[in-house]
Amino acid sequence: MIYDLIIIGGGPAGISAGIYAARKKIKTLLITKEWGGQMLKAPDIQNWPGEKSISGVDLMKKMVEHLKKFEIEIKENKEVIDLEKKDKNFSVRDNDQQYEAKTVIIATGKIPRTLNIPGEEEFKGRGVSICSTCDAPLFKNKEVAVVGGGNVGFDTALDLSKYAKKIYILEFSELMRGDPATKEKLEKTKKVEFHTNVAVKEIKGSKFVEEVVYEDRKTSKDHELKVQGVFIAIGMVAKAEFAGDLVELNEIGEIKVDRNNNTKTLGLFAAGDITDVKYEQIVIAASEGAKSALAVVDYLKKT
Amino acid sequence: MSVRVFSTPTCPFCVTLKNFLKEHNIPFEDIDVVQDGLAREEMVKKSGQMSVPVIEIDGQIVVGFDQEKIKKLLKI
Repeated sequence: MIYDLIIIGGGPAGISAGIYAARKKIKTLLITKEWGGQMLKAPDIQNWPGEKSISGVDLMKKMVEHLKKFEIEIKENKEVIDLEKKDKNFSVRDNDQQYEAKTVIIATGKIPRTLNIPGEEEFKGRGVSICSTCDAPLFKNKEVAVVGGGNVGFDTALDLSKYAKKIYILEFSELMRGDPATKEKLEKTKKVEFHTNVAVKEIKGSKFVEEVVYEDRKTSKDHELKVQGVFIAIGMVAKAEFAGDLVELNEIGEIKVDRNNNTKTLGLFAAGDITDVKYEQIVIAASEGAKSALAVVDYLKKT
Repeated sequence: MSVRVFSTPTCPFCVTLKNFLKEHNIPFEDIDVVQDGLAREEMVKKSGQMSVPVIEIDGQIVVGFDQEKIKKLLKI
């Protein structure tokens, strides 16, 4: 069985591509590890036309319900691990099966960037968190560190300031990168200490996190902070390793696409946050998904 | 069957978990660990984790919205 199209990813780009493809009646398979992607972490979305205010989880549910109304094959809880081109067609392998298709849309989005330091993985859920929206209240009257002084770090610290008694923001570069307006808000709480030019080296503890070790990059001296929580807020990263050299990446690992969502390989398209298209927004990811599906339809007509 | 959910109001996966239980008509005790400090301590102690949601099904603990594990324990 050869599909016309395989869509990899179940965020707004993948779902929207699926809806467009299904309506164009092309034989489509959508493979995804999870639904919604980064949208799930948004507690209140106010810029999706037609919804004045909706949670990411609810919007995701509506989108999935909408998609499933159409004739489209779906494999959930599956991660694509390999993508190859064989003659004219593509071979897509997930953790238990292999599929073949004439075209592929990569829409796997971005995942949180990690520090790759000792203790980070070990203490995940035991003091180390990437979701302040979820976990901030658990740190009531505790001391916490936020790694990353950009907007995500600032928002994380703001979430935490309602509960924690002391917050250290640790930023690698020489200056805090987040909005000055948010910084002012944080200063007003009188709970936040800002540290720039520091490299976080290790997270230590026994059952739970007890301290974080960082190096002052000016003096090369190590320091320890007694904290019960470490929130990692160093942004998102694109992971497209499974596509190998079928795609060209930019300096931050995003797939380069042209204005019609073509990658460097004929028949291989990409859409949404995984690409080098500017502005990461749900509405933009959805429209990129739609564009890529329409480009696939045009491509199939020509071949 | 006793089902208890420890959660915070803002956590997206807590909402997903609770909706999942409602969809399957499973009654549960809804515990907000922001309001209830004792429950917060109980949750951290029982789960060994500082993360929500935590679900307790007849004394068995599952951390996060692990659909497969939860289905198995609920026998659905």
